[in-house]
Amino acid sequence: MSNPFERPYADLKVIELAGDPAGEMTGYLLSQMGAEVIKVEPPEGSPTRAIGPWLHGETGPDSSLTYWYYNSNKRSAVLDYRSAAGLKTLEALLADADIFICTLQPKALKAAGIDHAALSARFPDLIIVSVTAFGLTGPWADYKSSELVALAAGGPLHMCGYDDHAIPPILPGGNQASHIAASFAHKALLVALIDRQMTGKGQLVDVAMHEACAVTVELANPYWFYPKAIVQRQTCRHAQPVRTQPALFESADGKYLYFVLVVAEAKPWANLVAWMESHGMAADLTDEAFKDFAYRQANYAHVQEMVECFFLVNDAETMFHEGQARELPIAIINAPEELFTDRHNIERKFFVDVAHEGVGTFPYPGAPYSFSAFSPVARRRAPKLGEHTDEVLGALAAQAVAAK
Amino acid sequence: MNSIGALNSESRAPGKRRGPLAGIRVADFCWMGVGSMATRFLADFGAEVIKIENRLRLDTPRRLPIYKGVVRAYGHEDANPDPNKGGLHNNYSRNKLGITVNMKTAKGREIIDRLIGASSIVTENFAPGVMERWGLTYDKLQALSPNVIFARMSGFGHSGPYEEYRSYGPVVQAACGMSFISGLPGREPSGWGLSYMDNQAAYTNSSALLMAIYQRNRTGKGTEIDVSAVEAGIHMMGPVMLDVSVNGRVTRGDQYPTGNRLEHPHAAPHGVYPSKGEDRWVAIAVFDDAEWKALAGAMGNPAWAADTKFATQDARFANQDALDAHISDWTRGQDCHDVMHALQMLGVPAGAVQNAQDLNEVDPQIAHRGLFFEMDHPVIGEARFEGEAMKFSRTGPDNWRSAPLLGEDNRYVYRDILGYTDAEIDTLEAEGVI
Repeated sequence: MSNPFERPYADLKVIELAGDPAGEMTGYLLSQMGAEVIKVEPPEGSPTRAIGPWLHGETGPDSSLTYWYYNSNKRSAVLDYRSAAGLKTLEALLADADIFICTLQPKALKAAGIDHAALSARFPDLIIVSVTAFGLTGPWADYKSSELVALAAGGPLHMCGYDDHAIPPILPGGNQASHIAASFAHKALLVALIDRQMTGKGQLVDVAMHEACAVTVELANPYWFYPKAIVQRQTCRHAQPVRTQPALFESADGKYLYFVLVVAEAKPWANLVAWMESHGMAADLTDEAFKDFAYRQANYAHVQEMVECFFLVNDAETMFHEGQARELPIAIINAPEELFTDRHNIERKFFVDVAHEGVGTFPYPGAPYSFSAFSPVARRRAPKLGEHTDEVLGALAAQAVAAK
Repeated sequence: MNSIGALNSESRAPGKRRGPLAGIRVADFCWMGVGSMATRFLADFGAEVIKIENRLRLDTPRRLPIYKGVVRAYGHEDANPDPNKGGLHNNYSRNKLGITVNMKTAKGREIIDRLIGASSIVTENFAPGVMERWGLTYDKLQALSPNVIFARMSGFGHSGPYEEYRSYGPVVQAACGMSFISGLPGREPSGWGLSYMDNQAAYTNSSALLMAIYQRNRTGKGTEIDVSAVEAGIHMMGPVMLDVSVNGRVTRGDQYPTGNRLEHPHAAPHGVYPSKGEDRWVAIAVFDDAEWKALAGAMGNPAWAADTKFATQDARFANQDALDAHISDWTRGQDCHDVMHALQMLGVPAGAVQNAQDLNEVDPQIAHRGLFFEMDHPVIGEARFEGEAMKFSRTGPDNWRSAPLLGEDNRYVYRDILGYTDAEIDTLEAEGVI
């Protein structure tokens, strides 16, 4: 028997009815810290099982790496909640659950006969976490969404793309609209959990991916609230109300680095010139005239060109570490494969090995935070479709017998 | 809304807070966008978050020139800005108390020790080493406040070879891979037009703090928290990480990323199409035959749509260049919101590419749900705020005050909480300690 106080979520039972990465990431954040998460799937499996990339390129319900990523440490029980019998079983599971994660939009809820208000009344200590595209209320509540649509309507997409506005805004990668929704769902359910510690009561929490995106636009809203300015997208740097200088520099080995060339402040300027000088590449930038900000500003194009040349003859790793050693905020635009071999990530033991019996053992990203008082559960592979159906339904049947 | 132009000290005086975190006091050293946003969440839900500031080194959101009536890039700061005029600070530090202290003075550090003793959470996002320089290690904090929660956040985390590296949002996004995976194939990344990872690292830190509070309520024990923004970012990179670790995928090259097109699933059309107006666009995402049929119907079933090269999802996916040209011809000249609604009515996922004006003034969904709200501010006047994107049946945020003026709550905190006399506070002021 594990110690229920060991991890924050160790005594929580979660029922997850989630068909997208937003709801599944929310469930994973709970299972990662010790919750027992039972993923209820229809017979055909969660829709995420049908999304690649695929294990060795072969499709199948148990080989979706999308499903793998978002469903570690969960159990899978097949249960057709759309049938009367299935819905009854789902409700029986909810009877002793602490949290119910549900991604169904209002119409789908109605079709399935799931009524959050009625569930709340019936199970007063249950926390229902609804994570949907647009929320449970409002004129768009049943609109369809996707990563692209969510980031478009929610605001972030307008800020992302290239200087050339003949090119449309470009989708930032990695399912971020879903991750934004999951971050809000996790915060919200924690508020509800803390509230329940004090009151003993659960509640319905309604998180909309659309709204979560609409407040994840950093400066765009304040620029509208205050000067009524609309920021304009720029290549790989902040969208701003006025154009700013490029911040990508290419290195000798064909990589890009992000570096904002600041000429306004004396210290970073001096650090940059000293750095270039150490490579014998400062040329006229060491001239007395460049000590004057107005002169640097007036000759910005020349400065920019000199710095571009400096980067072009040096490799990215050198520029990253030397720049940082001179207190300049700079980084390589890393590709995913480079993260696994990065010595900082290795030394912090960020990646963890996950065994897939019969397939292999693969490194996965670890938890997004660490605590001195407790640690995440060891990451375990996502369940196969219905892998725990017998176990979960059997336990339910045993409970029913014991209750009689 | 109550519009008071001048400081109305009575309505701004701290009172009893409402919400699940009421009664929790936070000694908050957080600053910049990422730190301020992280602790704002605690303040919104009732915690007494005391923002600790240095008059000699103003917090960046106080400095950035996001002012009513003036349009400037955020880098174009005033040399001596009015610390109470910054809109970004107002947005990030509402519902918090604000005090000033000079940590370079022994008296200042003594005051802060007392404040920590009266708090149960300490938060910070300084460059690594700053808290240590003030002697504020976790051991010391525990001695001052048993079972304290100490939340630390930084770009690369509090260990490892890059521990002391400088970072802000775009640097984190570069380092964690988030910039690389965003852009058109065969050219430089388009990345992010915002400090996305400042938002996400802040959310991660808020969750970590709430989790620590929840756990302390269960066990009585506090914890130290280390959030590395880069690690939070890698955790959010999604399935491409497994494509690399499981399949040995190499993403560097001219085939990846794929712009607005998805590799998985085979959605098509899937893109951002021009619409009426300058730089206006609409996103359309079609995942199956039913959605395609509905889209074709919305376009009036043109002859080209019946071409066999668009007959199946895989065929459409294989012929996206031709498909996108046709879709663009249809969207161009139409209003982006009209296209969105017409398609959504037929069950096709579509969304206008909305800017902040749209979110605030056009979007009926956001208006219906009351996401944004207004409060007054003594210097700025009436202002809008980004609300918490979550609705609860039994609780909610407690928006009681706009952001603190610099040092606005010195008297309340130093006298009413810590027990200094007015005369002592006068002296501390005169000596430049607070």
